Order: sequence, then structure tokens, then C-alpha cells
Amino acid sequence: MEAMSEKQTTTSAAFLATLKRDLLIAFKKKNDIVNPFMFFIIVVSLFPIGISPESDRLTEIAAGVIWISVLLASMLSMDNLYRADFEDGSLEQLLLSPHPLFFLVLAKNISHWLVSGLPVVLVSPLLAYMLALPEEAYLILVLSLLLGTPIMSLIGSIAVALTVGLGSRGLILAVITLPMSVPVLIFGTLAVQSTLNSQSPLGYLSLMLVMLSVSVSLAPLASAAALKISVN
Amino acid sequence: MWLWFSKLGSPKWFYELSGKWLPWLIAAMVVFMTVGLVWGLLFLPPDYQQGFTSRILIVHVAVAGTSLAFFPLLLVSGTITLVWRMKLADMVAKNAAILGAWFSFITLATGSLWGSVMWGTWWEWTDSRLVSMLFQLFLLLGVISLRSALEDSETAAKACALLSIVGCINVVIIKYSVEWWNTLHQVSSPVSMDTQSPNGPEFWIATLIMIVAVYLFLSVSLILSTRNEILERERKSQWVQDLVSKS
Repeated sequence: MEAMSEKQTTTSAAFLATLKRDLLIAFKKKNDIVNPFMFFIIVVSLFPIGISPESDRLTEIAAGVIWISVLLASMLSMDNLYRADFEDGSLEQLLLSPHPLFFLVLAKNISHWLVSGLPVVLVSPLLAYMLALPEEAYLILVLSLLLGTPIMSLIGSIAVALTVGLGSRGLILAVITLPMSVPVLIFGTLAVQSTLNSQSPLGYLSLMLVMLSVSVSLAPLASAAALKISVN
Repeated sequence: MWLWFSKLGSPKWFYELSGKWLPWLIAAMVVFMTVGLVWGLLFLPPDYQQGFTSRILIVHVAVAGTSLAFFPLLLVSGTITLVWRMKLADMVAKNAAILGAWFSFITLATGSLWGSVMWGTWWEWTDSRLVSMLFQLFLLLGVISLRSALEDSETAAKACALLSIVGCINVVIIKYSVEWWNTLHQVSSPVSMDTQSPNGPEFWIATLIMIVAVYLFLSVSLILSTRNEILERERKSQWVQDLVSKS
């Protein structure tokens, strides 16, 4: 009994330690957080210049522009999820640890989302305002991003784990992950669009919640398996 | 009972067995392909609505139906690779991904040929089948590019197996979400997709023959490319060298 409870506390302790360590590293290397975030803001600001400054047309494309820019920015930030750990060998230590890899991977994904996904979600109302999205849709946009960006972190983590051993990954991460983001993109933008058409977006948001819970429970398993494949 | 299963993992055994099957498969493929193509493309009476354009559909439906088989195939071979570490399953999976990408591409190409006449457009985002086939193609290209990026063949085998399994789950979700997306964007649907026109049974029989022909073609090309792969990967083993020195 005692041994079991000891193991339980250590697994949660390991979870928290991994989370804390990753957050600490992220705040020490601010470039890795700031650059994808800046990329996101810059890409969004290019759309009105490239398409049209008229607010009617911007309203129409706002949700799609923000969502696609989020996906592209998440591709950039994903890249440093396991790479540094792989290079300095701490990833191998992670694999050797007695705790279930599922939780350690989940901790890394959560910390990654906290530093890359959450800032994007928080700044999205500002960008929505700049893209002339009506006010009533702000909350739904934020909620859809809040549900959707963790899904992207979790799915992207699988692809990053599979390619972590590659010297020059280039765009392979995007080629693998972006097609998989279609469902998230569809429901995220539909939620906002339906608010604009004064319909209830709740159906889409709950579907995203379903996708989030499925990916929280399954994606770390796939990431863990992928890490074991990549790190021999 | 498990003997055949463990035998199946042996490339040599597969090579010999498939060598015996191949002539029959090729003969059957040639017969079905010739009957299907000649009858379907040259002699089939025109559809009462679509005219002779319906003949494209015979090829298109057969290829499209077959290209849906690739992700399940990759799922099965990927699971076998990860669970039982069978080398053969990975050799099949490698070629299945490439063939699958080609089949998806041909499906899209024949589909747009037909669409260019019938719908007046080569590409139509409001048709969910086009869109999900496009993303199936992208997912398969992702698997192929992952394999070409990874140099170590054992790592590549397991990594592609895992990606195929994830991709197979994903392709189903994509299919349903794209369908959903479409029902909400029915701004201008160019046509009714109804193909259930009062045609004679010839149309369906020709399609059926073509489906069998394309499946046979798939099996033959998969077996041939897998045999190539076996020879290449097992080139250092005794039986391959015996085989080479004999011929």
C-alpha cells in the first residue's frame, strides 16, 4: 500500500517538475516564445493589405485569417518542443524515468501550450477588432481558440516527436500536421461564422470540446510511442 | 495455427508464394481491365442525362472506391509493424503509401475531368468528396515525405506505421467534418449529385467489372513493388544471391 501511494505521489511530482522545468526554460529563452507570437501578429496584419481594407470584406474573412495564422504560428513554435531536449540528452532521461511517459509528455505539451497557445488566444480579440469582427463574436472566437490551440499542440507534438531525430526538418512538420488540422479549422471558424449569422455556436464548441478530450487522452500516447521510436 | 502467420512475416516465403500467384493475378487483371475499358469506354450506351461523359465515371468510380482502401491497408500494416515487428508489413506499407497517393491523384484527376463537363468546373469546394480526397492525398504525401526524410530504415518503418495509424483516424474525422462543413456552405451547389438515373444495368455491370479490374491492378502493383523491395532489402541474404546467380 505504502509503496503504491509513494509511486502515485512521485508520478504527479514528476508531472509537476516537468511542467515547471519546461516553463522555466521557456522564460529563459524568450526568443522561442516571442518569435512565433510576432509571426502570428504580422501574418494577420498582412491580410488586410493583401486582400482589402474594407471592413465588410474583412469581417467575412476575419475568423479564417486568425485561425489559419494561429495554425501557421503553432507550426513554428512546435519546432522547439523536443529539439533542445533531444540535443542535450534530457529527452533520453525522460524516456528512462520510471514514471509513465504519457504524463511527462502531457506536461511538456501543457507547458508548450501555456507559452505559445495561450498568448495567441489572449491577443486574438485585439486582432479581431483590427479585422472588423463584430463585438459579439469576440467571446466565441476566444473560446474556439481556447479549445482549438491545445488540440493543435497535442497533434503537432506527435509529428515533432516523429521527426525529432532529423537534422534538418525544414517543412516536413507542416506537411504532416497541417492536413490534420482541418477538423479544428472547420469547427473553429464555423463557430465564429454561426455567431455572425446569429445562430448558436454551442454545437461547434462542444464538438471541439469532444475533440480536445479525445486528443488529451490519445495524443500523448502516440507522442510517447513516437519519442520511443525516434530515440533509440 | 500460428504457423502461417509467422511464415507470412518471412520475406522469402512471401516472395515464393507471390511468384506463384502473380501469373494468375496478371491474367485476371488483363482480362477484366480489357473487358471493362473496351466495353465501358467504347460500347456502353450513353447515359440519358450525362451522355457519353458517363463513361468517365466507370473509371472514376472504380479508382475512387479503391483509393479508399489505402488508409485501412496502412492501418493494418502499420499495426502489424508496430506490434509484431514484421519486416514484410513495412515493405507493403511503403509501397501502399506511394500507390495510394497515385490512386488519390487519379481519382481527383478523373473526377475533375468528369466535373469539367458535367458541372462546368474542374474544381468544386462544395463537393465534400473532392475536398476529403484532396486531404487524403496530402496525408499520404506526409507519410511518404516522412519516410524519405528518415534515413534509418527501422526507425522509418516504425515512424511511418505510427503516422499511418494516426492518419487513418484523422482521415475519418476529416471526412465527416468536411461533409458537415459542406452542408452549411450550400451557397450554390452546381448540380444534384444524383447518379441514380434510369440507366440500364449495363452501366453498373461495367462499373463492377472495372472495380474488380482496378482492385486486381492494385494487388498486382503492390505485389510487384513489394517483391522489388524484398530483393533490395534482403540483397545480402543467401537466398536472394542464389536467385540472382541462377538467373
